[in-house]
Amino acid sequence: MLRQFQSSGAVQAQANGAGPAMAYHEFYGDNFRPRDHYLPMWEHIQTTGQQMLGTKAHEAHLALHTEGVTFTVYANEDEGIERVWPFDILPRIITAPEWTMLEAGLKQRIRALNLFLKDLYHGQRILKDGVVPPELIYRGKDFRREIMDIDPPHDIYTHISGVDLIRDEEGRYLVLEDNLRTPSGVSYMIENRMVERRILPEFFARYKVRRVEHYPALLLQALRFLAPRGPDNATIVLLTPGIFNSAYFEHTFLAKEMGVELAEGRDLVCKNDKVYLKTTHGLRRVDVIYRRVDDDFLDPLVFRSDSALGVAGVIDAWRAGNVALVNAPGSGIADDKAVYAYVPEIIRYYLGESPILQNVPTYQMTDHQDRAYVLDNMERMVIKAVAESGGYGMLMGPSSTASQRAEFAKKIADNPRNYIAQPVVQLSRHICYLDGELESRHLDLRPFIIYGDGIQVVPGGLTRVALTKGSLVVNSSQGGGSKDTWVLAD
Amino acid sequence: MLSRIGESLYWMTRNLERVDGTARILDINVVYMLEADEDATEEMQWQPLLNIVGADEIYPIRYPDKRVTVQRVIHLLTQGRDNPGSLYNSLRLARENARVVRDRISNAMWEAINEFWLSADKHLKTTLQPWRAAEFYAFVHREVATFFGIAQSTMMRGEAYGFTVLGSLQERADMTARILDVRYHLLLPDVSMVGSPLDYYQWGALLKSLSGFESYRREYHGGIRPIEVVEFVVLNPDFPRSLTYCLEGMERAVKRIGYVEQGAVPQALEALRGHLTGVTATDILDRGLHEYLDRFLELLADLTTALQSDYFEAHLGDEA
Repeated sequence: MLRQFQSSGAVQAQANGAGPAMAYHEFYGDNFRPRDHYLPMWEHIQTTGQQMLGTKAHEAHLALHTEGVTFTVYANEDEGIERVWPFDILPRIITAPEWTMLEAGLKQRIRALNLFLKDLYHGQRILKDGVVPPELIYRGKDFRREIMDIDPPHDIYTHISGVDLIRDEEGRYLVLEDNLRTPSGVSYMIENRMVERRILPEFFARYKVRRVEHYPALLLQALRFLAPRGPDNATIVLLTPGIFNSAYFEHTFLAKEMGVELAEGRDLVCKNDKVYLKTTHGLRRVDVIYRRVDDDFLDPLVFRSDSALGVAGVIDAWRAGNVALVNAPGSGIADDKAVYAYVPEIIRYYLGESPILQNVPTYQMTDHQDRAYVLDNMERMVIKAVAESGGYGMLMGPSSTASQRAEFAKKIADNPRNYIAQPVVQLSRHICYLDGELESRHLDLRPFIIYGDGIQVVPGGLTRVALTKGSLVVNSSQGGGSKDTWVLAD
Repeated sequence: MLSRIGESLYWMTRNLERVDGTARILDINVVYMLEADEDATEEMQWQPLLNIVGADEIYPIRYPDKRVTVQRVIHLLTQGRDNPGSLYNSLRLARENARVVRDRISNAMWEAINEFWLSADKHLKTTLQPWRAAEFYAFVHREVATFFGIAQSTMMRGEAYGFTVLGSLQERADMTARILDVRYHLLLPDVSMVGSPLDYYQWGALLKSLSGFESYRREYHGGIRPIEVVEFVVLNPDFPRSLTYCLEGMERAVKRIGYVEQGAVPQALEALRGHLTGVTATDILDRGLHEYLDRFLELLADLTTALQSDYFEAHLGDEA
C-alpha cells in the first residue's frame, strides 16, 4: 500500500524543536503551539506555503552578497577571509511589555556603570567602602592608571554600549556581558532590517514594528553633544584600524550614515594638544573621535608604543579637553568579566535601586571555594578569560575534551584573576529557516545603548544565532548568524 | 577631504578606466584576429599590445622562450596575477580603493563595482579562452559603463567627484597616447606615406580601440588618412578620448577640487596645455609623432607627481 508522508513544515519544525527540554523556546509555547505574538507570521507562512521561504532566503543572500555586507574571519595570523553576513529570514519578535522592562533595565545598568567609572578614575569611593575589592580593579588589565583624574565631557565614559542578553530556561532575560569598549554589530542590526523589509514586506504588514534605522542619527546627535567647541560645525571622525579590521564594513557604514570622516591613525596628527585631520587642503581641527581602535592601540605615547593604528598625543589632547574620545579610554574595566559579577552591587551602591536585569551566576577564580567547585565541575561550566571578547579565550565545558579542560585548569592556576566561570545556561531557542527546513537554534540579543544628552536604547538590537545544531556559541567569528529583531509598538 | 581618501578616489577610477582600456584593446585585437591578413603573423598582431600596456618587460620573464601567442597575451593582460597591470589586478585595486572610500561614494556605486569584481573574479578562476574572450570583454565594458553612469547620476559635483574624474581622464589620456604611438608606427613606418588612404582595417582597429571609429567617419569624409587620425585623436576637443578633451576635463576637475596655495598642479596643467595648444597635426608629424607623444606622457607623469605633493601627501604646515 502506498505510504503517505506528511509534508507540513510545522510538523517538521516540531520534530526538530523538541531537543533538550531545558531551553526556553521563543517561538513555541505549550504543546508546540506558536506563541501569540508569532501567530500572524505563522499564519502567513501556512497560507503561502513554506517553499516561499526558500526563494526569500535566496534573495536575501544575494542582496547581502551584492551589497558587500561582509565580516572578516581570521583563519590564521595574518590573513582574513571576507564572508557574507549569514542572515536568517525569520524575525525574532519582542513584545512591547517585554521591551519596556528591558529598556528600563539597560538604562539603569548603563547609568550605574558610568557613575562607577567616574568613581574609579577619581575618588574610588566604592573601593574604600569595600563594595568592590580593590585588587580586582588594580589587577584588571583594562584599568588605566594613565587616565586618573581626567574629566571626560559631561562625565560620560560609555557613549555606546552593546549589552548581551540571554534568556534562561524560564525565559527570564539575563545580562551575559556588558560590552563597553567598542561594541560592534549595530550596522548589521540595520542591514538586517533593510533586507528583511525588502524581502518580506508581507510580514511587516501584519505587525506594528518599531523603527531602528535612526540609530546613526541618534549617535551623531550624541557625538555632537560632546564637542568641546560646541555642537555646531563640530568636526567628527570615526577612527578605524583600517580595511583589514573585521568590523570595517560597519565603520564605513556608520561614517557614511552620519556623514563624518572615516579616518585611520595616519590621517590624524596632534599639535599643541589639539588633534588635526590631514586633508587635501591642509590641517583641520578635530572635535570628536568615535574610535573603533582599542585602548591599547590608541596612543603609542601612553599605551602600547608599538601601535601604528593610533594617534600619538591624542590622550594629552583629551586630557586638555580639546577633543572628546568615544568611548572614553579606560571604560573596559567596567565590562571586565570579573567586575561583571559586582554590577548588581554597583547598581545598588550608586542608585539605591534594585537591579531590573539579573546577571548570570558567576564564580570568581580568585575565590578558593568558588575555584574548587568550578574545577570539580568543569563539564558543566563556561570558563572565560576576563578581558577577551568575540568568543575567543573561552572553554565550553559540555563540549570540551579532557585535555582542553586540563589546559584551562592550568591557566586558572597560573592566573586566577584572568578567569571566571559560569554555569552553562541553555540559551533560548528560535526557529530558523536552514537549507529548506525549519530548525530550532540558540540565540542571544545585543541591544545598543547611546549615552549623550540622556540615555537612549534603540528599540531592537542584534539577534545572533548559533547556526550549528546544539551550539551555544553565537559569535559570527565562530559560525554564528543573525536575525532581524522586531520590537512591537503595542 | 582626507588626503588618503582623495588619493583612493583618484586611483579607484584610474584603475577602473585602465580595466576598460585594457579590455578594449584586447577586444579589438581578438575581433581582427578572426580574419587576419595572410601575411600577418600571430606575433605581429599581438606584440603591439604588450608595448601599449607596458607589459613588454614582464613578458620574457613570464615566458622565457619569448614566443608571442594569442593565448599567452590574452592570459597575461587579462588575468595574469603576476602582471601588476593586468585587467584582473587593476579591477582588484579599483575595488580595494572603492572599499576604502566606501563611505564617500554612493551605495549604488559600491554595489556596482563590488558585483563587477565578484563576477569577474569568478569568471577568471579558469583560463579565459580566446573564443570566449569577446563575450568577457563585452561584459567588462558594460560593467564599467554602469559604474561611471551611476557615478554621473549620483555623485555631488564636489571635491570627491573631482578626484574621480581626474583619475579616469588622466588614465584615458595616457592610454590614448600609447595606443596612437604604438599603432601609428607599426602602420606607418614610412613618413612619405602620410596623407594617403591606407589599410582601412588596421586604421579602423586603431580608431575602434579608442571607440572613435564612427565619430571619425562622421567628422572626416575622405577615407582614413593618418594626418586626420592624428588631428582627431590628439586635437579634437569634442572626441571624448582625445588628448585635448581629456586635458579640458582634467582642468575642470582640478577647479572643483580647488588649488592648493603655491601648489605644483597648476603648473603641471599649464605645461600640458602648452603642449597641446597652437599646434596642428602637420606640426606634430613634422616634429615626429613619437617624440611628441613621449613628451606628452612625461608631462602627464609630472601631473601625477604634482597631485601627490599637493593633495595626497600630508601637509604638516598650518591649519587650513
